[in-house]
Amino acid sequence: MDRLYQLLQSRIEGQVLTPDEFHPAILTNFGNLFHGAPRLSVSPAGAADVIATIAFAREQGLTVSTRGAGHSQSRLAISDGGILLSMGSMRRVLSVDRAASTVDVEAGVVWRDLVRHLEPDRLVPPVLTNNLGVTVGGTLSIAGIGVASFRYGTQGDNVRELDVVTGTGELVTCDRKRNADLFWGALAGLGQVGVITRARLDLRKFKPMTRTYFLLYRDLPSFLDDAKRAMDGGRFDAIESWGSPCPQGLKPVAGRMQPFARWFYPVHLTVEFDPAHPPDDEEVLRGLHPFERLYVDDVPSVEFFERMIPVFDLWKRGGTWQHVHAWIEAVLPWERAADVVESVLPDLPPSILVGGHVLLWPAKGNSSQSRLFMRPPGEDLLGFGVLPAVPSRYWETARPMLENLGRLTEVMGGKRYLSGYLDWPEERWREHFGDQWTPFCALKRRYDPASILNPGFVVFPSSTAGSTPRPAPAAAAPARD
Amino acid sequence: MALEFGTPEWAQALVQAINASSEYRNSGSAWGVGFNGNVLFAFEAGGALTKPLYLLLRLQGGRSSGAEFVPGPSHPDAGFTLRAPYPLWREILGGKTLAATAILMGRMKVEGNTVALLKYAGAHRSLVHCVSSLDTRYP
Repeated sequence: MDRLYQLLQSRIEGQVLTPDEFHPAILTNFGNLFHGAPRLSVSPAGAADVIATIAFAREQGLTVSTRGAGHSQSRLAISDGGILLSMGSMRRVLSVDRAASTVDVEAGVVWRDLVRHLEPDRLVPPVLTNNLGVTVGGTLSIAGIGVASFRYGTQGDNVRELDVVTGTGELVTCDRKRNADLFWGALAGLGQVGVITRARLDLRKFKPMTRTYFLLYRDLPSFLDDAKRAMDGGRFDAIESWGSPCPQGLKPVAGRMQPFARWFYPVHLTVEFDPAHPPDDEEVLRGLHPFERLYVDDVPSVEFFERMIPVFDLWKRGGTWQHVHAWIEAVLPWERAADVVESVLPDLPPSILVGGHVLLWPAKGNSSQSRLFMRPPGEDLLGFGVLPAVPSRYWETARPMLENLGRLTEVMGGKRYLSGYLDWPEERWREHFGDQWTPFCALKRRYDPASILNPGFVVFPSSTAGSTPRPAPAAAAPARD
Repeated sequence: MALEFGTPEWAQALVQAINASSEYRNSGSAWGVGFNGNVLFAFEAGGALTKPLYLLLRLQGGRSSGAEFVPGPSHPDAGFTLRAPYPLWREILGGKTLAATAILMGRMKVEGNTVALLKYAGAHRSLVHCVSSLDTRYP
């Protein structure tokens, strides 16, 4: 028995696990690319346990990595030789303030559970991620983007207040005025300045029903034109769109026969409504010019919020959930978006999108105030995500293409969304954060001076790190299909 | 019989390979249409290449109208110039490194509209395949 186990277990109310008790899933994350075995795993019962764990880690010279649902794909939510804080144990919805339209939750609350909890009051967080099986603390640490982000920004933009345990073990309540630097450093801060233990989230009233218009576009320019009209009109509550391949057979690519596709662009435009006042379809769609109107779907709003659950279940049943997920997601400047998308899709084998897809998300740059959620300048932006599920035996074949795609988005002026696959040296981090890099490094020095929180992902300059050695990175070797 | 890299015969064989390639005809069909698609490939001295070589390849609409090794590091007919040390070119032609990777990571220098070049990455990959399909005696 690890001598540290009893020491730590005696100090906390939650559960401490040793390697012989680990579930194999905690040795990697959704990406299935990076692997690491923590020395101990802690399921905290509350903020006091997080404080005690961080204090313990500092005493023992260990690192602390946080894990929500483990949906990240790079060196996040895994630990190699340190303590893994499994935040899923802190999953209480603490209180709902109906008058103020806010809810207080522990960081390990899963969004799906929160949606169900709030349903009787017809309240919902303004922005929901597509995958509702992830945690509040997890997505706030990345940014949190959804089909309503073009209106409401990131999930982090809809936070009133946070409790954060810093890397020095101090519990700090922060908001836009109190300890504002920590507040903005925790939101989209990749867990580098503290562990979010509680969040007070904004809520909005939703109408009981949604109507979704399934539109199809056959070329990118007409899709982009209408996407902009849809965002600007103020008439839609959600906009969701993709690139959808229609396989055409095989063609030679660099001498090897490879499947290729003609790409189409489905768009789902959604409005909420009261059944007594259904939307006027012609009025709602006025000015839009799709190739085809395919379908109109009326569902209860909560069913709409949860619409992706059956899709993810299908991927799980189909086995692709276990594949390598090296998602390349980026926010592109509008004027470069077509160049990027049209240079990528023609040679993208549609087969790698079994259990994945290509996302195209129109967005508004001015909808977010987040400091660390980096996006290009400009009012109109396009989120572009190639979200493949790659059998591990094909990973090395797919890797150069996906890495080039990531780099291409950056060269074209885009900014990467950081829950996906990336493995950057320090200069790429500096490039990504731009003028926020120096403030981010300063926050790291101030709130995590020993550099114990979530090591191995963000590469800070050596002057930022404290005395704790950075653990060796886990090998990028997929374990299984 | 293997052709010697850097000779007029090799350049002529490359033109024939490009024009016989349905892969390039498709992927490069829009390359050079409405803009100058001629590319000057600058093989900078390094490794086994003791003197630099410059290949001007004339490309338009999925076909090549000619190729020649030219004396200088620039040419008035070139719309784009790609410069890299010879060992890197060998990696690319051997399929060990993607040209797009070399460009994106700054290992290969581009003169011309990089965005246009990257937009047609598939066409350039086909070109590389045409080159690598030649039976070549490299330095």
